[in-house]
Amino acid sequence: MSGQYAVNLQNVTKRYNEIVAVNNINLTINTGEIFALLGPNGSGKSTTLKMLMGLVQPTAGDVTVLGIDVDKDAVAIKRQVGYVPESPNVYEFLTGIEYLDFIADIYGISAAEKQQRINEYLKALQLEGREGDMINSYSDGMKKKISLISAFLHKPKLLILDEPLNALDPRSARIVKDYLHSLKAQGVTTILSTHVLEIAEAVCDRIGIMYQGNILALGTMSELRQMSKMESSGLEDIFLKLTGTGDLKPVVEELLK
Amino acid sequence: MNWKTVLYLLRVERKSGRLIRGVKATKYKENKLTAYWPYWVAAIIGILGGLLADFIAGEIYADPQAVSFLPPLDSAAATFFVTMPTLVLLFSIVLSMLQQIQLSGVKATTQVMYWLPITWKEQTTASILANLLGFPLAITIGVAAGLITFAALSSVYLFGWAVATALIMFAAAFLGSATTEIIRVLQTRFVGAVYKSSGKAAVWIRFAGSLIFFVIFYVLYFALTQGFNTFIQGLSAFQSTIWFVPFVWPALTLFYFIGNSVAFGALFLGLSVAFIAGLLYLAIYLNERFGLYEPPAIKVQTSGVYAPKTGLLGKLGFSSVEAALIRKDIRAFTRRRELIGVFITPIVFIILPISQSLGSGAGVPEVSLMFSAMLFLFPASLMATTMGNMLIGEEGIAVWRIYTSPITPKNYVKAKLAFLTAMSVLVGVVTGIVAVLFYNPSIKFIVVGFIEAMFLTAAVGPIELAIGFKGADFTVSRRPRMIRQEWALISLVVCGLAGLAVLAPLLPYAAALVIPDFFLSLTAQSLTDLILPLAISGVIAAVIAAVFYRININSAKELFRKAEN
Repeated sequence: MSGQYAVNLQNVTKRYNEIVAVNNINLTINTGEIFALLGPNGSGKSTTLKMLMGLVQPTAGDVTVLGIDVDKDAVAIKRQVGYVPESPNVYEFLTGIEYLDFIADIYGISAAEKQQRINEYLKALQLEGREGDMINSYSDGMKKKISLISAFLHKPKLLILDEPLNALDPRSARIVKDYLHSLKAQGVTTILSTHVLEIAEAVCDRIGIMYQGNILALGTMSELRQMSKMESSGLEDIFLKLTGTGDLKPVVEELLK
Repeated sequence: MNWKTVLYLLRVERKSGRLIRGVKATKYKENKLTAYWPYWVAAIIGILGGLLADFIAGEIYADPQAVSFLPPLDSAAATFFVTMPTLVLLFSIVLSMLQQIQLSGVKATTQVMYWLPITWKEQTTASILANLLGFPLAITIGVAAGLITFAALSSVYLFGWAVATALIMFAAAFLGSATTEIIRVLQTRFVGAVYKSSGKAAVWIRFAGSLIFFVIFYVLYFALTQGFNTFIQGLSAFQSTIWFVPFVWPALTLFYFIGNSVAFGALFLGLSVAFIAGLLYLAIYLNERFGLYEPPAIKVQTSGVYAPKTGLLGKLGFSSVEAALIRKDIRAFTRRRELIGVFITPIVFIILPISQSLGSGAGVPEVSLMFSAMLFLFPASLMATTMGNMLIGEEGIAVWRIYTSPITPKNYVKAKLAFLTAMSVLVGVVTGIVAVLFYNPSIKFIVVGFIEAMFLTAAVGPIELAIGFKGADFTVSRRPRMIRQEWALISLVVCGLAGLAVLAPLLPYAAALVIPDFFLSLTAQSLTDLILPLAISGVIAAVIAAVFYRININSAKELFRKAEN
């Protein structure tokens, strides 16, 4: 089972006092799949992703990542996972290169590999020339690039990316999308959370739509179209219909008053 | 100027300054009693001080002999009153500047107003008033409460002047706050220009500059608090001779009015008002000119193809994870302004004894011995104390990086303790060398002093790290706190007790040096006499270190397990 599934969540619930952030979800993500988790703000996406990393402990249920129980050996999972949080809060007192050097050492990458990979990524994401500057002078987009490089650097088997393309320029966003596809061919699993539905539609094999802590719909684009009975619609219309926020006209009219 | 806008800004500034840590924002409800504690605590201390002063003055002036050579009470008290505005002004500037140094550089908290319809007049006024409502107002309330209580119990004459002094102190506090605002703007602009022109050296210039800045204000603070009586007497006699310095004009207003020189009093009152208005306009002008200034990026390395370096830490037996964590912390403590402050303690510990020993105590063997002991024992252990309890919380909002990385609790604790111990030992060596150079202690003293400093560091470091785990505060805005206040207080008590336990076997020998007759049998003739107490001291330190190492490993496990829950 562990070879087939990169991620397996069984009856997982997360409560914060009276608030149910994630409500008894079951989810399996196949190895080598690019999976998107969609949902409105506060739907439980980030909490679910954090549970995969062992950052948030489920109130109930089992979480297995790469065949390892998160509760039993979180460090073993972290060695094989690349994670990008929604907000790129990195050590701002380090330079870009020092930060990547730090990450490479944490993952035990050899000096020769470290040198080759860091230089390649810096060049690809156009950070050359600024890598010696302290990160506190970077724009949000540059910080995001540094976060993405730090997630790719150790060649992880699983990528967990929370809003990975936020703040990226179109060229870098395209590179990241193409790169994710190439990694898929190498058997790397990617789970990403995004609000940009075009990205999910273009990049992902399967899509899960979360709403109020539940998974409302799960499947490929064509499966979602069938489920919503919107055969010729795009993901945006399906998403709005499934999350019960489809009829937005009155809201807009109210704003115009 | 829209005063409503000023009021809104003021509320936000003050509230962000007193946000209670560890409280979920959704449940956050401010308790007025705790939110305004500096004011009522200052008022209570002031009232108690006033009552005590009244009691002491009553006892002194009840003695007919004392009355014959002392000035009348009203006159003595009035002399004291006239120094208060300048004193409040100095305290306001020093304490506000120390607070400013520690403010977070998080742009989001300060830049919101750039795109809101707020004028620089409103922003500057709100900033000055917010500053005023911090330490300056608390000091003013404390001193005013003391003076008014004392005066109310003494005479109607003094009561009137006490109220007038309170009003002038408030004006002096405003003056201090406006001055802080001006220094802050100029400092940002000046420092930015220096960084720009200094290239790769900028990071070290910033380190040295921050240290100098800290030292100046800490030494000023110690000078104000430690030599308080001398300072008051000196200030009283001195300020009328420096009448041309605008900062003493509020005090001179009071001085001349109390001395019945109404014309001069009115003149200095007018000059004070004009000076305050001038400073306010200067602050607004500087903010208009430099307020939007974006400091240049600090370039630490030149660009080009990246080539990793083989580090010394790996050769010393640290794993790549541990070495990476240590290198990160070294950079944090030499680059982050709020962390550079930990180096102040040893510097102040070098400056203060030396400056004091150059005075009255110079040449007295007991005094030299005491200062040598201070330099050997305290800086290293205080470094371990201040650094240890910050080492976890300093990760700040980037702590997710630790949670998500394959770092084991053992890696983490080992790296933190190694860094902490190395820095403390380094400080111990430097201050030990200073002690040897300045006080020329015996070889026996040097050996024992150094060994005990290391034992203290070995015991205090793990304790402080354990406290750092328990009381870690990862919030960075408005200023990074790193350790919750209650844990910072607990750490002082626990480390004091641990220090006493480690030093206990040697304390009788230390006492014998000061009172030889009483502890004659314990006078150590040679180093060999001290081997047993040193060994016992070492065992105590080792036991403390081992116990707290285990505690730290468990705390790290707990920290990683709980992560963002």
